[in-house]
Amino acid sequence: MKRLLWISSLVAVVVVGFVFTSLPAVAHHSSAPFYDPTKSVEAIGVVERFVFRNPHSFLFIDGENADGEAVEWEVELGAAVSMRRAGWTPETIRAGDSIRAVGQPSRAPGTYGICCSRITRPDGSSIRR
Amino acid sequence: MSDTDIRGSSRRLICLATTAALLAAAFQGAVTQVGAQTAEAEIADLVGVWDGGPRVRRVNGPNMPWTPENFPVLNERALAFQQVFDEAIAPKYDCVPSASPAIQYDPYFMEFVQWPDRVLIRYEKDDQLRTVWMDGREPTLADYSIQGFSVGRYEGDALIVETSHFVFDITGFDDYNGIPSSQLKTVTERYWRDGEELRMTLTLEDPLFLREPASYTTRWLPAPEDYRLAPYECDPEEARRSVKFMIPKYR
Repeated sequence: MKRLLWISSLVAVVVVGFVFTSLPAVAHHSSAPFYDPTKSVEAIGVVERFVFRNPHSFLFIDGENADGEAVEWEVELGAAVSMRRAGWTPETIRAGDSIRAVGQPSRAPGTYGICCSRITRPDGSSIRR
Repeated sequence: MSDTDIRGSSRRLICLATTAALLAAAFQGAVTQVGAQTAEAEIADLVGVWDGGPRVRRVNGPNMPWTPENFPVLNERALAFQQVFDEAIAPKYDCVPSASPAIQYDPYFMEFVQWPDRVLIRYEKDDQLRTVWMDGREPTLADYSIQGFSVGRYEGDALIVETSHFVFDITGFDDYNGIPSSQLKTVTERYWRDGEELRMTLTLEDPLFLREPASYTTRWLPAPEDYRLAPYECDPEEARRSVKFMIPKYR
């Protein structure tokens, strides 16, 4: 059973890794002023809206914080012009989709931003339709 | 037709003929000028859409400007500005476009268009268009702008672009080190083809902030066939959204 779990985890990592590497990089300026690259945070919830814009797209997720309180996560993604070249459209993610984002948390206390994230369905499967 | 009508028509004909003659002379002059340059220097073929994205040059990678090896030597004025600079006031968070020497390294596509009297450089990032005048004209006081005023010439197999007349820019050195640039900033770019690559060496001078010139070299690869630059249409609301995630330097 443990072996099966390990294999499942490995497959999930590969799938997540594929999704992550297919994401365009964020703009060349450092994300360090906004997000802490030494930490990781997970947001699971339902997509409230997907804003496909420049200079950065944002994904809004209705979910919970570490204390179980309802919060809105703001997941920063790449520029729409770059994401479109990688096959993304405004319809790649839709309001109501269940989603999971794992990435760097925002620095300011009381904010729920995530950067440089791996985005999958809650079960780890690809978000690609 | 009365005598008055005939005299009016004659005057209009004379005006038209004079205008046509002047235009013809001006056109002849322009052709002669471009023709003379063509004879002296081979015109580097830089036309096309070029990929400057992460597949071509690694984002935040070791070869980006500025590395410890080529980081400019700042004077006390620049250091003082850098000391007090707060990222939250960076104009990019209000969609103010990137400028030289940073826009050349932004990880986006750009396009070269070559006309007889000018080279147009279009940047997908921030929908920017730079005009490089090849006809010998000189800047006026009305030409100060965020992208400055550019003149160019062909030298061997390269295009040399010299830009001055920048306005003061609080992040005019690049867009993430909090170093400003002044009206005395000058940027010299040398573009040339190396096989399928487009290469550029950029040299930056600014006596108000830098003790000595700084330089970097980068490259582009041809964009996929038939790719056209997409509108950027920077959204100020999204540009500023992440600012609230910072712990502010000043309260």
